Amino acid sequence: MIDSEFDRRDFLKVLGWGGAAVALSGCGNTSIEDGKETIVSYVQAKDYVIPGVAVYFNSTCAQCDAGCSITGKIREGRVLKLEGNPESPINKGRLCGLGQASVQHHYNPDRVREPLLRQGDKGEAISWEKAYGLINEKLSGVKGEEIAFITGDVSGHQKVLLGNYMDSLGSKNHFVYEAAAPAVVRAANLKAYGVEMPRYRIDKAKVVLSFGADFLGTWVSPVHFAQQYAAFRKGVDGQRGVLIQAESKMTLTGANADRWLAVRPGTEGILALGIINALGIATGDVAQLVKDYDKARVSRDTGVEPSHIDKIAAILRLRSPSLVLAGSAAEGYVHGMQNAEAINLLNYVLGNVGKTIESPVSVPFPQLAPSKGNTASLKRLNDDLAAGKYKVLFNIATNPVFTAPASYKFGDSMAKAGFKVAFAHYLDETALQADLVLPLDSEMEDWGTHVPEYLTETAQINIQQPLMERLHANTRGMGDILLALVKQRKPEEYKAFDDYYGYLRGAMLQNKGALGGAEKDDDNFWNDTLSNGIVKLSGPSSALSGKADVAGLKLPAPREADKEYPLRLIASVTSNLRDGRHTNQPWIQESPDPLTTIVWDSWIEMHPKKAAELGIVEGDIVKVTSRTGSISAQVYVFPGIHPEAVSIPIGRGHEAMGRYAKGYGVNPFSIMDSVFESTTGELAMHETNVNIAKTGQRVIVVKDEGPVGGKQMGARIAVSRSTDQVDLSKEV
Amino acid sequence: MSVTNLLDNWAEVRHFHPIDDKPHDPYKWAMSIDLDACIGCNACAVACYAENNLPVVGREKFQHGQVMHWMRIERYWNEDDREFPDQGAEFLPMMCQQCEAAPCETVCPVGATNHTQDGLNSQIYNRCIGSRYCSANCPYKVRYFNWYDYPTTDNVWPAEMNYQLNPDVTVRGKGVMEKCTFCVQRLRAAEVTAKGEGRIVREGEVQTACQQSCPTNAISFGNLVDPESRVYKQWKAQQVDLAKDEQEKDKQEGGSDLRGYRILEDLRTYPSVMYLERVRESAV
Repeated sequence: MIDSEFDRRDFLKVLGWGGAAVALSGCGNTSIEDGKETIVSYVQAKDYVIPGVAVYFNSTCAQCDAGCSITGKIREGRVLKLEGNPESPINKGRLCGLGQASVQHHYNPDRVREPLLRQGDKGEAISWEKAYGLINEKLSGVKGEEIAFITGDVSGHQKVLLGNYMDSLGSKNHFVYEAAAPAVVRAANLKAYGVEMPRYRIDKAKVVLSFGADFLGTWVSPVHFAQQYAAFRKGVDGQRGVLIQAESKMTLTGANADRWLAVRPGTEGILALGIINALGIATGDVAQLVKDYDKARVSRDTGVEPSHIDKIAAILRLRSPSLVLAGSAAEGYVHGMQNAEAINLLNYVLGNVGKTIESPVSVPFPQLAPSKGNTASLKRLNDDLAAGKYKVLFNIATNPVFTAPASYKFGDSMAKAGFKVAFAHYLDETALQADLVLPLDSEMEDWGTHVPEYLTETAQINIQQPLMERLHANTRGMGDILLALVKQRKPEEYKAFDDYYGYLRGAMLQNKGALGGAEKDDDNFWNDTLSNGIVKLSGPSSALSGKADVAGLKLPAPREADKEYPLRLIASVTSNLRDGRHTNQPWIQESPDPLTTIVWDSWIEMHPKKAAELGIVEGDIVKVTSRTGSISAQVYVFPGIHPEAVSIPIGRGHEAMGRYAKGYGVNPFSIMDSVFESTTGELAMHETNVNIAKTGQRVIVVKDEGPVGGKQMGARIAVSRSTDQVDLSKEV
Repeated sequence: MSVTNLLDNWAEVRHFHPIDDKPHDPYKWAMSIDLDACIGCNACAVACYAENNLPVVGREKFQHGQVMHWMRIERYWNEDDREFPDQGAEFLPMMCQQCEAAPCETVCPVGATNHTQDGLNSQIYNRCIGSRYCSANCPYKVRYFNWYDYPTTDNVWPAEMNYQLNPDVTVRGKGVMEKCTFCVQRLRAAEVTAKGEGRIVREGEVQTACQQSCPTNAISFGNLVDPESRVYKQWKAQQVDLAKDEQEKDKQEGGSDLRGYRILEDLRTYPSVMYLERVRESAV
């Protein structure tokens, strides 16, 4: 049957138009009929380019630091879509929405296209030669300690080159800043397990008890954890995994929990100690520590019902191994470290260390491993800038003017640096304050190597390679810029490298043996490396070395209600927006927040009980005032939040950064108090207290859910089955 | 056919494809979605925007209900007035259910929406006159109308952004209806390739964009008449029969322990998407 059927497509194929016709009909918004489009034949087609047939190149996603490997679909020289690379043990062929949207970063119409030099309020387009000359000139006579660099997490050869450039300048002031990184948890992990990030095995656990770790949405390596979660739900040894999430504001992970506990803000550690007490299996120091945390007290402090504490203890006793996670919701307080330590203690009591908390592998080249940093690092930079310590500041694609709490006055501090260079993709809030803005290639135009912080089965170096030609003639890759800058200082040492590509290739080939290419010749090794997009290595695993240490662990009593500012502000991190660097990608703006379904705007989550008490309904514009300042936004009445807290997501409220970001929503950093975690000095993101006042205005909330909200009106739509002990592992 | 006869046999008239003497051959594309694995992350929806040239309509048009997301994640809460949603939320990815007896098909005055041989509910853009009857008649509300000419609307696909458009998928103009196609461009490419090699499309050879991106592998997609396909096995194991408006297992007293079900099945739409119920542990 199949062979004899005649159809149009075969006919087109015979005539040689098969692919071309497809390309003509869907290409852009013009058509042959209007005479706006010209057909140019490929007299000499480039390698691999067949009109109408896609080619695929592997690279690495740069939207967050998880390091998912991607495969770009390229047609006629344009990248169209990204898929996950199935060969990566991190994302195994999958890709989140944020990753998908990175093509809109690449094609974004608001990218900076020329080097811009400040002339008053305007930026004057200048040449790269002039820009490099200017940097050289401004650096002359400046001492190394008067030069500072701020970057996001940086790894691979870019980190090496940056380090070399800083050495050549004699500067040691590298500030690594990620607004939403789990810095306190890293510190607590280092103390408890001897490593900052152990390898978590959600897939091996029968029960996961997570204190605000949004591992499905925003935490560490969400796509990887989501895959582990799928295996965990299918079950180990015939038991479907049970997820319990304790947090003050429901995260995406909380929304998937079998039991979600609304914990009074800041009492996560008390709940953890209460569960240890209820387990009744702790001995020695630990038993001594938790003896006062009986159910009645813990329930009073945390707001969690005693029966739930019993049930959780019972299931943890019954099903082993389990896994307890401390996440960002637990760490955002003055006693965040204490919270995280109390939570980690549970893993020792339950015997999970070594079972579901494994020693991580690491890349055998520490010089390529990521430099990490968080808000404490930004605080130091801010203090130094305010003290006038730096004459030259280099900012590599970070936006602290947007993500620093308003009380830092980061913009004013930054102004004290004499010469500020921003390497940027957009004119964001920070780039607008720079003296020189240098436009960067997108990740789809640039070369690079990356080593993710969170590695899985094997150590790996991720390869980033251009998926298409530069869109704009005058953008440059960060690697190329660093190479050009370091050549200013040490021309002899770097003269062998024409560009960053040459440098990268040279660096990789030089170490071919250790990278698994001993048997291959140079070209083969390099081609294989690019074609795989990943270099997998057998890295050493750093053994877990910590112990259940209770010395110094002391949790404060729950905070008394502040009369003037009675509510806690939870500045939440959502899976779409993260720290706001992707807000100008329209797919992200229009992708509904999973929990509220709100798009294109900020909102204030408030529990129905609190809303009723204040006489507030959905869409009321309220003024949220903290000691630092106030903002106004629409209320979304949301059951998944503790009544003593309100939540505003971070990421919106841009005053710059292009047409898709500017003017949408509010920025909770602008009212965040400067309160710090007491051990690590990180910004305590949940320690801001606020009050709420109605403004009398009301709007219709722009959201995806219908007027009946989340009700199913009795129909069988998204049904849920409640069951004890179920095994899904045998299902197809 | 008399009106009486038509009414008496209405189900059979509408329910044309999957009857015994005329089975789907060689393809019947179908899907199953495991709601216990779905985490509501929206990766599928964004992947759909990327694959199918969906316009981003912006805040104002979104407010007017003109959003074009072929795939959306619906979020539900338990309805028993608890203080907190203490068993989480319920997420449901919703897109065209590719009904075998689609209510949208029968009302189209110009036959712009009709059924393909491989079991898709297709939309022919250049036949569509924009009556929107289909959308009104769709019980799943998954049809999206182009109220504007998005290709020429400001900031939808401004310069460079339009380079991302997938040349395998038509960019729709004003006045036509559109909806999920099960990534028909991918299906056709796979079908044509297979045909050239004298075989049918093998399991795993073709993925929809949503399925491909899903971090938890909640979506499976394939050929329901191929016994090797995962969807065939899942539908079989869950005892969900495409051609029934009430499954045998649901007629049992106390219902069934199997999780598979189809949404609004009793409307006799014979949807091609099976969902697997979410499970929540009651021991905690």
